[in-house]
Amino acid sequence: MNTSILRIENLTKIYTDQAIQNTVLEDMSFQIDEKEFLCILGPSGCGKTTLLRCIAGFEKYSGKISVDGVEKSFPGTDRIMVFQDFNQLFPWKTVEKNIQYPLRLTGIKDKASLNKISKDALSKVKLEEYGKYYPFQLSGGMKQRIAIAKALALKPKIILMDEPFAALDAMTRRDLQNELLRLAHEGSCTFIFITHNIQEAIILGKRIMVLTKRGKIVFDKKNPIECPATPASPNYGLLWQQLKDALYI
Amino acid sequence: MKQERNEEINSIVIKIIFVMVIVSIWEFVAKSDAFGPSSELIFPSLEIIAKAFINNFIKGYAGTSLWIYISNSMLLLLEGLLLGMALSFVLSGLSIISKTFYAIYDLLISVFDLLPGVALLPVVIIIFGIKPGVIVFLVVHAVIWPMSRSLLDGFMAVPQIYIEAGMNIGLRGTSLLFGVYLPASISYIVSGLKVAWARAWRGLISAEMIFGIASRPGIGLYINQMRTNMKNAEMYATLIVIVLIGVIVQYGILSPIEKNTVKKWGMSK
Repeated sequence: MNTSILRIENLTKIYTDQAIQNTVLEDMSFQIDEKEFLCILGPSGCGKTTLLRCIAGFEKYSGKISVDGVEKSFPGTDRIMVFQDFNQLFPWKTVEKNIQYPLRLTGIKDKASLNKISKDALSKVKLEEYGKYYPFQLSGGMKQRIAIAKALALKPKIILMDEPFAALDAMTRRDLQNELLRLAHEGSCTFIFITHNIQEAIILGKRIMVLTKRGKIVFDKKNPIECPATPASPNYGLLWQQLKDALYI
Repeated sequence: MKQERNEEINSIVIKIIFVMVIVSIWEFVAKSDAFGPSSELIFPSLEIIAKAFINNFIKGYAGTSLWIYISNSMLLLLEGLLLGMALSFVLSGLSIISKTFYAIYDLLISVFDLLPGVALLPVVIIIFGIKPGVIVFLVVHAVIWPMSRSLLDGFMAVPQIYIEAGMNIGLRGTSLLFGVYLPASISYIVSGLKVAWARAWRGLISAEMIFGIASRPGIGLYINQMRTNMKNAEMYATLIVIVLIGVIVQYGILSPIEKNTVKKWGMSK
């Protein structure tokens, strides 16, 4: 039996700018099982990113977000975010130091252990020979791979991914989707992946959720298509249509 | 790569030609009596200046070599620079942690950055008297405000993504300051350092020229002594020493810092 790792109860987030109040998420509740890969689809402005930022602890909100039964309101290494922006790595650190620095903060001081963990993490994203490079020497796709490796090295409970492949070209995006699928299958942690691409949600998600305005959940189902999902997979077209209908209600 | 190298060589050649032209004009004026009989006094020939340059270090003034004056000045400058930088780091850091402190410190920077150190000199002498500490105080004054302004501007310009990436891995408060804010604003720190060094160096020479401290005489005092003794060649030679020290600090200290940080990290061209 699966256990719930993330529980969101009555989450409401209102942005206030002078006299204007904008309710982005309203009374949202759902939970995610351990090692689940949840893809969240939704049109622009439906609150996908805000939801992720609330879970990551970057936003103040009303309601309750708990991880493994413990309420969370500040950022922490149990929930690591992979941003859409390629420049999320610290430019003043080499690739391996970018991976090792958060590990040091968690208390791992032994150099040999740090080197081993960063090497393993880089080999998982097939960039083991780039440890000594600085981020500016890498392409956008490589930076995103390293951001994923950094997140994996920390062994968080949940990895939050905010459209991390949105700005990549189609080929690199496809490569990274395959790598992410492989890593998710290793089953070390839970993923929440935000996208506005239906195909990406079908390929990656074990569970797919569609949000509309104010974070209203209009579709929330397990992905019935066996991995690896391709347009030729049975029921692919049906699911695609269902998601499209939910998105454009 | 080859094109960059060629551009670098071209730039050096242009600089050398420019200096040679200036030096030739100087020598022409010195030898041609363009300013009448006092020409050689106002513009001593390069040969005389070169001899004076060597004499400054060998004989110096009243048995004290220029080396002593230089080391006194540099020590006072170093004390003031280190103290000023330490204070600006601490106070700017506090400004990031506390919004109230930021409001007060921002006001202080705006007010005191406009006050030339030399204008403060009478007040400082009345309060502290004439001692080496006064020069250190002026150097601190020259360093702290531009350095703090650069630091605060740098902190404000730190991309939100770095701050959130830092918070995401558990950095908060002072750990966020040292882990993200300081390294992310390194280009501002280097530029603040350049301005701070230039102001401190100028402030130091000015203060030493206005009042020389007998216990720790510096380069500014030496120039003044040469002027009062009509030793113009020695005076020019000392000016060359001041320029050379500036060039050594710029290319020997500041440029390597820049090369090994912002340029190495791809944060600047």
